[in-house]
Amino acid sequence: MDFWLHVVNMIGLFIMLGVSLNLLLGYGGLVSMAQAAFFGVGAYAAALSARDLGLPFPLTLVVAIVVTTLLAGVVTFPALRVRGEYLILLTLAFQMVIYGLMLSWVDLTAGRTGISGIPRPRLFGKTLVTPAEFLPLIAAGALVTFAIAYRIGESPLGRVLKAMRDDETATLAIGKSVLRYKVLVFCVSGGLAGVAAGLFAHYQAFINPFSFNLDRSIFLVALVVLGGTGNLLGTVAGAILFVGLPEVLRFLQARQDIVDAIRNLVFGLLLVLFMRFRPEGLVPEHARGRRRQGVGQPAPAVSVTGILPSAGPAHDGAGPALVAQGLRKSFGGIKAADDLSLALPRGKVTALVGPNGAGKTTVFNLLTGFLAAEAGTVSLQGEDITRLAPWRTVRLGLARSFQDVRLFERMTVLDNVLVALPEQPGERLGPLFFAPRRTAEAERRNRDQALGSLAFVGLADRAGEIASSLAFGEQKLVALARLIATGADVLLLDEPASGVDLQWVRRILGLIRQLAAAGKTVCIVEHNLEVVTAVADHAYFMEAGRIIAEGRPEELMADPRLADIYFGTSRR
Amino acid sequence: MLALAAQLATNGLISGSLYALLGVSWGLIFATTKIFHFAHALTLTVAVYAAVLAVGQWGWGLPAGFLLAAVVGCLFGVATERVVYRPLRRVNATSLNIFLASLGLLIAGESAVLIVFGPQARDLPGFPISGIALGPVAFTTVEGLWLAGSWALLLLLIAWLWWTRYGRAIRAVASNRELAQCVGIDPERMSLLVFGIGSALVGLGGMLLALRDTVSPTIGVQPVLTAFIAVFLGGIGSIPGAVLGGLVLGLAENMGGLLLPGHWQGVIAFVVLFSVLVFRPSGLLGVRTR
Repeated sequence: MDFWLHVVNMIGLFIMLGVSLNLLLGYGGLVSMAQAAFFGVGAYAAALSARDLGLPFPLTLVVAIVVTTLLAGVVTFPALRVRGEYLILLTLAFQMVIYGLMLSWVDLTAGRTGISGIPRPRLFGKTLVTPAEFLPLIAAGALVTFAIAYRIGESPLGRVLKAMRDDETATLAIGKSVLRYKVLVFCVSGGLAGVAAGLFAHYQAFINPFSFNLDRSIFLVALVVLGGTGNLLGTVAGAILFVGLPEVLRFLQARQDIVDAIRNLVFGLLLVLFMRFRPEGLVPEHARGRRRQGVGQPAPAVSVTGILPSAGPAHDGAGPALVAQGLRKSFGGIKAADDLSLALPRGKVTALVGPNGAGKTTVFNLLTGFLAAEAGTVSLQGEDITRLAPWRTVRLGLARSFQDVRLFERMTVLDNVLVALPEQPGERLGPLFFAPRRTAEAERRNRDQALGSLAFVGLADRAGEIASSLAFGEQKLVALARLIATGADVLLLDEPASGVDLQWVRRILGLIRQLAAAGKTVCIVEHNLEVVTAVADHAYFMEAGRIIAEGRPEELMADPRLADIYFGTSRR
Repeated sequence: MLALAAQLATNGLISGSLYALLGVSWGLIFATTKIFHFAHALTLTVAVYAAVLAVGQWGWGLPAGFLLAAVVGCLFGVATERVVYRPLRRVNATSLNIFLASLGLLIAGESAVLIVFGPQARDLPGFPISGIALGPVAFTTVEGLWLAGSWALLLLLIAWLWWTRYGRAIRAVASNRELAQCVGIDPERMSLLVFGIGSALVGLGGMLLALRDTVSPTIGVQPVLTAFIAVFLGGIGSIPGAVLGGLVLGLAENMGGLLLPGHWQGVIAFVVLFSVLVFRPSGLLGVRTR
């Protein structure tokens, strides 16, 4: 009996660890090969504080959580630009270092011998010793950990994490500080692993480094991936299946190391086969029966002004909304922006035209902070924004779209738009856990607003679909709805009508005119001269990083010199 | 103090040379295929086990064992590419999923080796170990072979990459896969080729290691991890970079012994890696792409 209760307890501990990792890997898209290291550091912290400092049980758990949270923060914080393979490597190296220290820093950890005699916890006047006595405590721990992770994962905060996972650049472009969310999710994940660590140390009463090695980290990654990333229920299923089932093997084979080896063999093969045939895992992120948000709800009646969330009148001063002066940027020998100045008049559509490679997209990147200018200034509504990070410029009211759309492909259409709304209380841990009502109300309002944005572009009925399943033209419209949702007053559209059918082009142009009529300042980069003449009030003509002409679109089109440059016909 | 420093520098140079070889063996594959080939560690294990079996049990000579390790490594690497990675590329698996499959292969393979051969450590017998003193520094014959063997293989590989048709084709694929395809190079064939060469090299590197350390099913992980670090330090896609990265790593680890107690040695690699990635994300000799 005790043996099976022990198995249940181990499943509980692995649910906590798996859930903590899924938040990082499945939601945040951040691969950590060091989850066992955090687990281990937490366990040592609890064990040493209990045995050597004599702290009582719940306090030692707090120590474990605090230590792992801080360690996670310290590890990620300097690694600002780290992602993908670099993150795998860094966490791998970190895992090896921590494991190495556990083995060799004998004064602290007693090396291979490990730490024994960790006091049993006393709760409600009872000392917990047997697996049966620990079961309620570990079950409670698993439940709380799951609840916290679920609350985060299925909240506006979880939505930002998924956006970051799908496309970091686009996440910056909707005004979210990717760095903040990375550090946050690492700390939360570390803290949750700390819960498991504290309980584990007291439960075993003995720990040594071998519970926290690279194999354990790999096992956790495999568990989460096989269960299904981005879905916490999958992790629970994974823990039950992959921690529970192998224990049956023990009855067939006495030797522990062979049992472990067989388990790992099956596990590894499953991982290879799943990647080939079912990469989404046992329980996929968008499993059937899960709530498809927004589907079936009647779309609210839409007027253009109704869907524009911006404070609008706050900026109806005189003068242009955006002014750039003397921008310079070169890549190697190529001058992509050469003493370039432009102004975007308020409530008008301005076009940036010019041949391929003239530097038009570079201008957008310079204006929005995606590239740092070598010289020159950018000011928005009279405020200097030259040196600001992209997500800050969005907060101040300047947002851009991308030529290649860059939707959050694995999220629903509605979530793509919802995530872009600014200042959501549910994006911060405080309101999420301590002001649930305010969070829920804001979420309802935001949902209506996002549906409004979708209705404006005519896609409200597609709200529940996965973004990547849409046609390219529809994706462009979703990107436009997402851009509007940021609430920015100045919108930079990079080739909004390229690569789509004529009927979509008309629709998109109509929407752009409506936006301008509602007071938005719009700037488009466009190749199609018909589009430019149809939609723009004013145009800048760029060549080789310079603006060589400006005026009404028709005037520019009529200039034979510009036509020569544009079409590449010979001037000789 | 000076003698100690000279000795530590020598040790650093010796282990750095082996790191460089391991780094290049993995870096060649990573640069060309963009696959984070974690199962490289399994290739090392399999190749070394084959040789240990041949030398220890069947009485082969040591040179024949080295040859066998290279051949087995090569075949195993090529098989991995064909059986595991190519089907994944066909279904457009993300690089993360390919990495996870590689991870799966590694744990499955290590477990299989453990089930078949048992967890006990084995030796690679037959190499005469004695000390060599060279002025103020001393090292063993094994270490001498590390130094000579690593550099011989490295120089051979570099010469091949720079001066032969296939070598240049590989470098072309590494620098731009699509463009290489346009000039008639078949990237799939080049993938097989780099898997073959890289895996043969890691088999030989594993043999060099096995001359000093005992052989167990997990022997591959630590050296291959060192290889990853060497590659990222030097800059992805740069073969000379991986060599430099390996040397820097070996020297830093050993010279760190002057300043820090032994158990912090492992931390040094991490700190070096961290500072390089933060201040120069493209690596020491990498091309800046931003």
